[in-house]
Amino acid sequence: MHGLVLEHIARDFTDGRQVRRVLFPTDLEIAAGELTVLAGPSGSGKTTLLSIIGLVLRPSEGRLVLGNRDVSRLGEDAAAGVRLREYGFVFQQPMLVEGLSILENVLLSVAVQGKRPSKAMRKRAMDLLASLGLEATANQQPRLLSGGMKQRASIVRALLKSPSILLCDEPTSALDAESGQVVVRILKRIAIEEQRVVVVVSHDARVFPYADRLIKLENGRVVSDTREQYVEGSGLAS
Amino acid sequence: MRSLAAFRMVVHDRSSTAGALLGVVAIVFLVGQQLSVLFGLLNYMSVLVDHSNADAWITSADLRNADAGNLISARYLDRAMGFPQVQWAAPLLIGNGLFRTPDGSFEAIRVVGCRRPRLAGGPWDFAEADETALLDFESVTVDRLDFEKLGRPAVETVTEIGGRRVRVGAITDGARGFQGTLVFAPFDKVKEVAATPPGRYSAILLRFLPGIDHDDAVARLRSAMPGCSVFTTAELSRLTRLYYFTNTGIGGSFGFSTAIAVMIGIVIISLTMYASVLGRYRDFAVLRALGGRQRDVAAVVFSQALLIAGVGVFIGFVLLAALLNATRGSAIPSYMPSYVSPLLAGIAIVVSLLGSLVALRQALKAEPASVFH
Ligand SMILES: Nc1ncnc2c1ncn2[C@@H]1O[C@H](COP(=O)(O)OP(=O)(O)OP(=O)(O)O)[C@@H](O)[C@H]1O
Ligand SMILES: [Mg+2]
Repeated sequence: MHGLVLEHIARDFTDGRQVRRVLFPTDLEIAAGELTVLAGPSGSGKTTLLSIIGLVLRPSEGRLVLGNRDVSRLGEDAAAGVRLREYGFVFQQPMLVEGLSILENVLLSVAVQGKRPSKAMRKRAMDLLASLGLEATANQQPRLLSGGMKQRASIVRALLKSPSILLCDEPTSALDAESGQVVVRILKRIAIEEQRVVVVVSHDARVFPYADRLIKLENGRVVSDTREQYVEGSGLAS
Repeated sequence: MRSLAAFRMVVHDRSSTAGALLGVVAIVFLVGQQLSVLFGLLNYMSVLVDHSNADAWITSADLRNADAGNLISARYLDRAMGFPQVQWAAPLLIGNGLFRTPDGSFEAIRVVGCRRPRLAGGPWDFAEADETALLDFESVTVDRLDFEKLGRPAVETVTEIGGRRVRVGAITDGARGFQGTLVFAPFDKVKEVAATPPGRYSAILLRFLPGIDHDDAVARLRSAMPGCSVFTTAELSRLTRLYYFTNTGIGGSFGFSTAIAVMIGIVIISLTMYASVLGRYRDFAVLRALGGRQRDVAAVVFSQALLIAGVGVFIGFVLLAALLNATRGSAIPSYMPSYVSPLLAGIAIVVSLLGSLVALRQALKAEPASVFH
């Protein structure tokens, strides 16, 4: 699995006539096989950075290199193709599509460009749902599930295509402490056992103990970037 | 999977789906109903011509519609019969008269006189008795649809037309003209009722021998009879329909109300689909973030529109069929040529797609980046 390299990535927003730099030039290498947590106060640019990494927002400056490829200047359709093949997303809200069953929601992540999901893919979806304790919900409507179950279902949706990069924005903030822990443990396990790039944005202190690497942003700048020191003593993946 | 998603959304978002369905059903039903009345009226306009069982008609010169012919000389009958292409020729005499109803009041009617024994241009369908009734000089027919209006003159009722004694001999079925009540009578009775000068006809009906080229035969008749008009039956029918269609405002009024129905349908579909997409804005952003392109979002929106159109067309046609069935045989003109149904379905589908364009614009605005907020 390849990592991600950010070279001098910066982002400006214009509100009104004024151009405001929200993210100052940032260089980062994000490796597979560890849980990277992006922390910082509100408005510090975490979501902006994650959106750029996730190819849904273009940087104003700099390059984003995935494998050997600069993916920061791709056209809309090409970026969508990369998102479809390489990325899994978990949002603050589960964002499941009402009307589609849990299984259909999960399958949508591989079939959004119109392809029909294969039998093998269906089986994998069922296995993943089962591994997160959701096998009984496969044919249910999202609204019948608890917040924690929905968030787990959205993790299954992100994992179905075996993405090399998993991006999560505040995946625990809408959950109670217990469901939140379950979710973080799952993410940690995926990073380590499946050797993927996993980036979690969070300002939830309960997430930090699980981080292999903790990057702190303030006012659009990386102010600290620490490895491993939070890990000891915390209960690891279940 | 895109169409499955579209299907699930359509099923799930019941209220907006119901609204958009209403729009499609309204178009199919309202436009279909309008068209059926229009085609019903068109049938009335040329009813005598269409059911004449003749190949060609000779009428007065410069004829503008089949109901407004001047009388022509009986000489043309002999001349027509002299043509080698002609199998038979028969005169038709149409006059106006007042029909005395059994309760003593009067109704204005058109009396159509056809000559025995062929009775060309005469009645074709009967609710009671048959055309042999017209072999009797006194006998006339009335139509089932005008039965109430004429005071329920049952068969064997003796009454008057234009002060002349007649007897109702048969009841026709569906012989209704655009210009009003049609009563068939023997040729000489009409001559008497309408007081037509002798040796004059309203029209001459022709049948050609088998295997004759009708257009060619008509052309020959035309050059031989410059003092009158010669039409094939189809030509005369078309001329008459077109005349009424354009000169009575029927065309304009039907066109206008049909356009209004289509517009209302578009507006209903646009509004409800737009509202539905607004409610689904987040889902479309999620589709984009998951790797959906703009065209995938468009596919979902269009699939929704097509699904709704399909179901709406089906419901619309069921309702329309029920209406046509209920009004069949009544005095309400209604007729649906077979080519109209696919046309109507096509219109409904195009309108649905047009109606979904506003919604599509909105759906395409869904920013994948917005899912992170
Ligand atoms: N589309 C946008 N247009 C203008 N300004 C924006 C836009 N998106 C973000 N910003 C600004 O960029 C700054 C950083 O926003 P961002 O969402 O990255 O912060 P964050 O660290 O994720 O905050 P939070 O913890 O509250 O989610 C904020 O000041 C925000 O107002
Ligand atoms: Mg944020």
